[in-house]
Amino acid sequence: MDAVLTRPSPSCPEVETIARVSTSETSDATLIEQVAEQQREAFEELYGRYARPVLGLALRRLGDRGRAEDSVQEVFTAVWRSAGSYDRTRGPGVAWLYTIARNAIVDAQRRRHVPTMADPPEVVSTGPTPDEEAEASWNTWRIHRALETLPEHERTVIDLAYFSGLSQSEIAAFLQIPLGTVKTRTRSGLSRLADGLEGEL
Amino acid sequence: MTDSGFPFDEIVADSDPDRARLREAHDLLLAAGPPPELPPSLAALPPIPQAQVITLPRRRFTAIASIAASAVVLFGIGYAIGGRDSPQQPVRTVAMQGPAGATASLAVLPKDPAGNWPMTLEVSGLAALPKGKTYTLWLTRNGKLAESCGTFAVAAGTTTVPLNAPYPLKEYDGWVVVRTGTTQPFVLQTETA
Repeated sequence: MDAVLTRPSPSCPEVETIARVSTSETSDATLIEQVAEQQREAFEELYGRYARPVLGLALRRLGDRGRAEDSVQEVFTAVWRSAGSYDRTRGPGVAWLYTIARNAIVDAQRRRHVPTMADPPEVVSTGPTPDEEAEASWNTWRIHRALETLPEHERTVIDLAYFSGLSQSEIAAFLQIPLGTVKTRTRSGLSRLADGLEGEL
Repeated sequence: MTDSGFPFDEIVADSDPDRARLREAHDLLLAAGPPPELPPSLAALPPIPQAQVITLPRRRFTAIASIAASAVVLFGIGYAIGGRDSPQQPVRTVAMQGPAGATASLAVLPKDPAGNWPMTLEVSGLAALPKGKTYTLWLTRNGKLAESCGTFAVAAGTTTVPLNAPYPLKEYDGWVVVRTGTTQPFVLQTETA
């Protein structure tokens, strides 16, 4: 297990950072349109929703944590400057943001002239094809964005089940909640993720 | 347990009508892995980028100015030959009136790809202000100033000025003109605010 687990504790408030879970009902499309009008609150909301998916995308493209972190700001600069080009009749906000993020990361990569994992391999690869990689990248973007829509109690059990490798019983013991509640929250979380994927946010 | 270690079948029954869509979410989660945690340096919103002032190289500026001048001449020739039609017809023309008898016509041109609504304001009867003082055209919401569409000065007679509204117009209910730096009185306003 990679992560060190820390049980959530009411007596130990989390450090105040960007909200992990967005509570706003405003769609991504509306937020982008508001960013086009230079509304800072909308930009903050978009950042809260997409900072981690953007960092994940940059990590996969660049393969270097330092450069990936640097590129996050470049992506959001591009979002701020390009928001006026968004047209909701041509697609959902999640797809527009993915395109902007991918292009900004590729541009940053080219400017630095540094070979990366994303550069064409010099030998015949037996790994995924470019199309498969693109599809995987897009799917990862979508599911990471959808994760940001989950309420904290569902997000916690999904994290523990999928990313920390705990069994449902171990999650129940860890969170000190009934096993049935763990299963209910897990199913509810999966359902909400499916809703987000279908609605494309 | 599945081969992934996650007991999907225990959580979602075979008979569950949502099983297929839940399975897709489950598979995507497994394939994607966890999203990265943000480092403290990215926990806060980065500074909002400021508008860039682009200084053109002198030689390029001269060339562009030359092209622009040629375009103006060609447009003038075309205008004279082809008639008096404007290349862009207003999508909406709004009449404005002021309590002191000033009148204006605000022609809203088609929105550009960036979301700007270019406008032409033709105004008559407004008092010319001292040098350096201007009027401002505002969009209103519930009768109150909401967003500025630009400032302008007037001279005697009729003044025509290009202005711009980079906002979704349907969210507002009218326009007014006030002296820049003030919120009242409205020296011009649309009749249906």
